[in-house]
Amino acid sequence: MKRPNAPAKSGIVDRVRRFEIQGLGAVGRGRNVPYLLLGIALILFPVLDSDSSHVNVAADAGHWILLALGLNIVVGYAGLLDLGYAAFFAIGSYAFAIMASGQFNIHISFWILLPVSAFIAALFGVFLGAPTLRLRGDYLAIVTLGFGEIVPRVFRNATPITGGVNGIVGIDQPHLPSILGWSGKFGFNPVPWYYLILAVLVLSLFLINNLRNSRLGRAWMAIREDEVAAAATGINTVTTKLLAFALGASFSGFAGTYYASKLFLVVPESFSFQAVSVVVLVMVVLGGMGNIRGVIVGAILIYFIQTYLLIQLPNWISSATAALNIDFLTKLDIASYVQRSNYLIFGIILAGIMLLRPQGLIPSAQRKAELELGTSEEAVADLGSA
Amino acid sequence: MPILEVKGLTKRFGGLVAVNKVDLSVEQGEIFAMIGPNGAGKTTLFNLIAGLYKPTSGQISFNGRSIFPVREFWRTYQPPLAAYYTVVDPIRRGLGLGPIPLGLKPHAVTTLGVARTFQNIRLFSYMTALENVMVGEHPRMHAQVWDALLNTPYARREERQVRDRAMELMRFVGLERYADQYARNLAYGFQRRLEIARALATDPKLLMLDEPAAGFNPQEKAELMQLIQAIRSRGITVFLIEHDMKVVMEVSERIVVLDYGEKIAEGPPQKVRSDPRVIEAYLGKSA
Repeated sequence: MKRPNAPAKSGIVDRVRRFEIQGLGAVGRGRNVPYLLLGIALILFPVLDSDSSHVNVAADAGHWILLALGLNIVVGYAGLLDLGYAAFFAIGSYAFAIMASGQFNIHISFWILLPVSAFIAALFGVFLGAPTLRLRGDYLAIVTLGFGEIVPRVFRNATPITGGVNGIVGIDQPHLPSILGWSGKFGFNPVPWYYLILAVLVLSLFLINNLRNSRLGRAWMAIREDEVAAAATGINTVTTKLLAFALGASFSGFAGTYYASKLFLVVPESFSFQAVSVVVLVMVVLGGMGNIRGVIVGAILIYFIQTYLLIQLPNWISSATAALNIDFLTKLDIASYVQRSNYLIFGIILAGIMLLRPQGLIPSAQRKAELELGTSEEAVADLGSA
Repeated sequence: MPILEVKGLTKRFGGLVAVNKVDLSVEQGEIFAMIGPNGAGKTTLFNLIAGLYKPTSGQISFNGRSIFPVREFWRTYQPPLAAYYTVVDPIRRGLGLGPIPLGLKPHAVTTLGVARTFQNIRLFSYMTALENVMVGEHPRMHAQVWDALLNTPYARREERQVRDRAMELMRFVGLERYADQYARNLAYGFQRRLEIARALATDPKLLMLDEPAAGFNPQEKAELMQLIQAIRSRGITVFLIEHDMKVVMEVSERIVVLDYGEKIAEGPPQKVRSDPRVIEAYLGKSA
């Protein structure tokens, strides 16, 4: 917790050495070593793994991590339950799609639009956040849920601008000057996409980690703990909450730009409540609200379960029954049941994890203390009443 | 010149008049106490001053600046709201309804230099004691969003200063050993002290303490009185609500007594103690 006083002037090497993502646990000189190794592994991953579909999965997982990190600012830090996060993701995606496609024949560079669409998403974060400021908890959740439904519906019906149900197809891709024998084109080769999202993630992690330890981060936590007391200590709760919405939304603007560009198209259906808002919220809560590491692990895990485990499970079962070669089992055709009830299995997995680890996979120190204290106090109360 | 001036302050909750035409003024540098039976409206009066409640009528001014009502819409409110008020205010006054009853928001009152503690302790439970005090420094920090995002040298320098100042305050209230503990885990008496430290961190000119000695044993009460004296010797005016007569009589220089929302007495402790209306309010009317 307590760090030695930093020297007045420090070189970049020194600063990198001291850089620490909150809640890493390890203290001392060696604390960054595992992360350095992880970083090297992530950079070398596309080189070592020749199967490009694996790289593609990793590149797709990246924008989910980004979404989860963004929502973590709103839900984990400021404690505002936002069920309409998909709205900002949609706004980021459509902002990019409209300004970089044949839709209006505007073709602005990806690199310019990356911050621009993040800014637009942040702006809408303020617009949609402003009416909800007086609300708390459940009430806030319901209003944000409404916004999350309204935004994709607007995109579906504003056909002249957004292409309606068919969406916008043929979205531009980023270009880079050719280096090291690579043409500089992204196309369907997942490797450059992988490095792009890795770079965006590293940048986002740097920014979010800074936020957490700043004046603003402390103000968010204070509002989460007690809004009246926060106001009484001089925190402008209105602007502070709006900043949480805006900054949270801006990361989904990054994610939206990347997503639209990589997928080549946007359609309103991909921003529905159950496809985005809930999934991202589950990533945050299940991973560990307020803890950057936890949120990343949660995002990767949920993405893996959804796109790999649930899809492969029927195949595994059918090959297992084929291998067992029992007539009765083959006739039952369990695999097709499993295939049809994949959401049921998803639900069971989620419920199971939350029952085993209610504080999340890697909880923040606060959440952990909260749950531990809660249980011990209940035990005392039980003894008293017995 | 009084640092806090309240004139004709009234607050109605539906049919209940919680505070009724109260006038009081707190002088610069004094220790001023407010007493009264339960439900007399003391905490409501605090909340009115702090901007948590909007008065029904009356005036509050602090350090020569009006807290309620305020007219400087452009400075204190977001542009759309300010535009609305700017249009509506002259119409209201033209119709003889008086100015829009608008007051400063709680954070604006705190920024002006009024800090407070709460009767039922309101700390940030799952932040460390030091972090609680550092939150208190918020209104006098200047780091902006970009400083926070990029962790600029300015932000780092300010963080260091704030941490040092917060640690100094922790020492002042005698909690330096508990800096890294969650506020929630501190002993009750320490929580009260921590709340005072957090309030002091906002660099107040006036500190309002809502029953700071509630639930204290005599030893703790004596220590608290020392702390209050030490705060005053830092040049901070202290305005406290207190039930414990011993604390009030010993520590305060002037006392105001509320009963059923009305001011029934005001003056130095000896005078207030012998006031028949005060005795009646506290002990009941003799038959």
